[in-house]
Amino acid sequence: MTSHVGKTCVAALLSTLGAVGFAADTTSTQTAPDVITAGGEEVYGHICQACHMPGGQGAEGAGHYPKLAGDPALASWQYVAMTVLSGRNGMPPFGEPAHQDAANFGAVHLSDQKIAEVVNYVRSHFGNKYKDKVTASQVAKLPHPGSG
Amino acid sequence: MIGATAGVSAMYQAMSSLGFAAESPYRGPVNLQGAPPGASVVVLGAGIAGMTAAYELRNAGYRVQVLEYNGRPGGRNWTLRGGDSYTELGGATQYCEFDKDLYINPGPWRIPYHHRGILSYCKRLGVPLEAFVQVNYNAYLHSSRAFGGKPRRYREIKADYQGHVAELLAKATQQSALDTSVTKEDREKLLESLRDWGALDPDFTYVAGDSSSQRRGYQKHPGGGLTARPIPSQPIGLGDILESRLWQGIALADEMDMQTALFQPVGGMGRVGEAFGRELGPLIRYRSKVVAIQQDAHGVTVSYEDTENPGSRLTAKADWCLCTIPLPILAQIQMNVGPGMAAAIGAVPYASAVKVGLQFKRRFWEEDDHIYGGISYTDLPIMNIAYPNTGYHSGGKGVLLGAYIWGQHAMHFTAMSPQERVQKVVEYGSQVHPQYPQEFENGIAVAWHRSPFTMGCFGMWTSDTRDKHYDNLCHIDGRIALAGEHASYIPGWQEGAVTSALDAIERLHAHAVEQGGKA
Repeated sequence: MTSHVGKTCVAALLSTLGAVGFAADTTSTQTAPDVITAGGEEVYGHICQACHMPGGQGAEGAGHYPKLAGDPALASWQYVAMTVLSGRNGMPPFGEPAHQDAANFGAVHLSDQKIAEVVNYVRSHFGNKYKDKVTASQVAKLPHPGSG
Repeated sequence: MIGATAGVSAMYQAMSSLGFAAESPYRGPVNLQGAPPGASVVVLGAGIAGMTAAYELRNAGYRVQVLEYNGRPGGRNWTLRGGDSYTELGGATQYCEFDKDLYINPGPWRIPYHHRGILSYCKRLGVPLEAFVQVNYNAYLHSSRAFGGKPRRYREIKADYQGHVAELLAKATQQSALDTSVTKEDREKLLESLRDWGALDPDFTYVAGDSSSQRRGYQKHPGGGLTARPIPSQPIGLGDILESRLWQGIALADEMDMQTALFQPVGGMGRVGEAFGRELGPLIRYRSKVVAIQQDAHGVTVSYEDTENPGSRLTAKADWCLCTIPLPILAQIQMNVGPGMAAAIGAVPYASAVKVGLQFKRRFWEEDDHIYGGISYTDLPIMNIAYPNTGYHSGGKGVLLGAYIWGQHAMHFTAMSPQERVQKVVEYGSQVHPQYPQEFENGIAVAWHRSPFTMGCFGMWTSDTRDKHYDNLCHIDGRIALAGEHASYIPGWQEGAVTSALDAIERLHAHAVEQGGKA
C-alpha cells in the first residue's frame, strides 16, 4: 500500500476535525483506524456497508442508497473508483485530498491501494462478475478531491 | 499537523474560518410586513428550519402548507422515549424499552446560550429549559493506552497539566529565559499569575499539598470531627500526563459553543419540534415523500407520495417554495433549478455519526462514581459517555448516552446491526464503568447514515466547496429557496437551521413583495 506521511497526517487531522460542529464532542485521542490495514472485503464491511447495506442491497427512504448488486454502472471501474475517490451527492469522498482546502471534515481517507481493493471487491461480489482488476497506480491517475 | 499535536481546542479554532464556532447572527424576530394578499408558500420539511419558516410566514399572512416525510414534526430535533419505535434504512426496527421519563436525543442535545435564534423559539413556544452540563470536573478522561486503562478524573488531568505548565513557565521566568519577551515590571506579575493559575506553592512548585489538592482532589477529603484531617493527593507527573494525551480533553470547554451556560429542553430536545408541530397543526401534512419540484412563471408544483399509499401521486401548488430537504435526498429529487444550485446540492457530503442510549438498573454513575451530568471522553470507539443532566438522585433506573461516535468509527458502527451496536457499546463502556455488565438492561442505537429522512448527520463543507457552491446554494432560484443547517455557517447546529430559514424567508418575502405576490 502507498504510505505518504503527509497525507496520513492530513487524514488523521480530518477524521478528528469531523467531530467538530454538530457536537464537537471528541478529544483527538481516537485510536488509529484499523481499516488502513484491511483488504477490500473489510473496507466494504466497515465503511461502504453502512449505507449500501450487507450484500450491496442498497436501501430506500426519503431518498435511496444505490443497490450495488447487479448495478450496470459497475461495468466501468473508472466510474466506481471516481465515486469512491470524490463521493457523489451526499456520499463522502474517500480519496486522499490533494490539499487541505479540499479536506472534508469527518471523512475517512483511503489510500489508492485501499480504493483499488474495495473497487475490485464490489465489482466481483454480490453477483457482480467483472474480471478486470484495477490497481493502485491506475487509481492514482484519477482526479483526487481538490486536484481538479 | 494541528490534529496530531494540539488537541481539540486548536482544531476548533482552525475551523472557525469555515464557519464553526461563530456567534449566531440572529437579530431578533423577523419582520415580514406587507405580505401580498393571498400569496402562498409550500415548505418542504418539518424540521427546525422548515417549521421556523412556516411559523413566521404564516404569522406574516402567507398561505402556508408544509410537507413532511416522517409521521412526526422535528426532523433531527428528536427524542426517543420508552414506547417509541424507529425503523432505519435497511429495515431494522428498534423498540425503545426505556422506563417512563427516560430518553435519549439522537440528534441535537444542547443549545449554547448564544444561539439566540433557537432559544427565542423555545421561549415563544413555551418550551421550558434546564441546564445542560458540558463540563463535569468529576467525569472521566480515559485512554485505553494510559494509566493501565484506568480512567482519570477531568479535574486531576486539568489541575496537573495546568500546574506543571505553570511551574515550568515560572522556572523559565525566574531563570531569565523569558527576559526578551517579558519586561522587568511584568516579571513579578507574571509569576504571581502563574502561581494563581497553576495552584503553585509559594516557591512556585506544583506539588502535593493543599493548593493542588483543592483542584485535583484530596487522597482523603477534609471532613468533620475526629476524622476531619485531610490527606493531600499526589499529582500525576508531567511526563505521564503528556504521554497519556489526556490533555487533549481539556480545552474543548473553552470553545464558545461549549461554554457555560448551555441548555436542554425539559423532557428532551424533541420538545421543540413537538411544540412547533402543535403550533402549526394542520398546516403540516405528514408521511409525504417529495418526488419532484417543478417551477414555472406562475408558481411551484410539488409532487409527492403519501407513504401510506405507495405509488400514490399528490401535488401541492404555491407561489413560492422553501425547501429544507437534506441535500443527499434533494440531490435525488427531480427539480428544475439552474446549474449553480443543482451543482451545489450535489456537492455537500454528509457526516457519519452514531448515538446509542443505554438503560441501566440504577444510576451507578451517580451512586458509585459521583458523576452528575456531563460527559466522559475516551479513546475507545464509543468516544463519549454522557450522563443525564436531569433526574439527579432519583431512585430506579437511568439512561445514559453510551456512545456518541464520529468519523470512521461511526461508519463502522453504522455498518453493524442495531443489536450489535448496542452490544459493542456495552462491551467498550465496561472499560470505563465496570458496572455495565451487571447493570445493563436495554439500549437503542441511531446511526445517522441509516436515517431514512436525512441519509446522514449534517452537511460537511470544505473551504473549496464553500468558495464554489455556498452562495449558489443559498441564492433564490426563481421561486425556490433552500434552508437548513446545510445552508449555514453553523453546520450541524439548530441555530444554523433557524438563521438560514429566517435569512431565506426574508429574501423570499422581498421577492414576493416586489412581484406583488402571484406575479
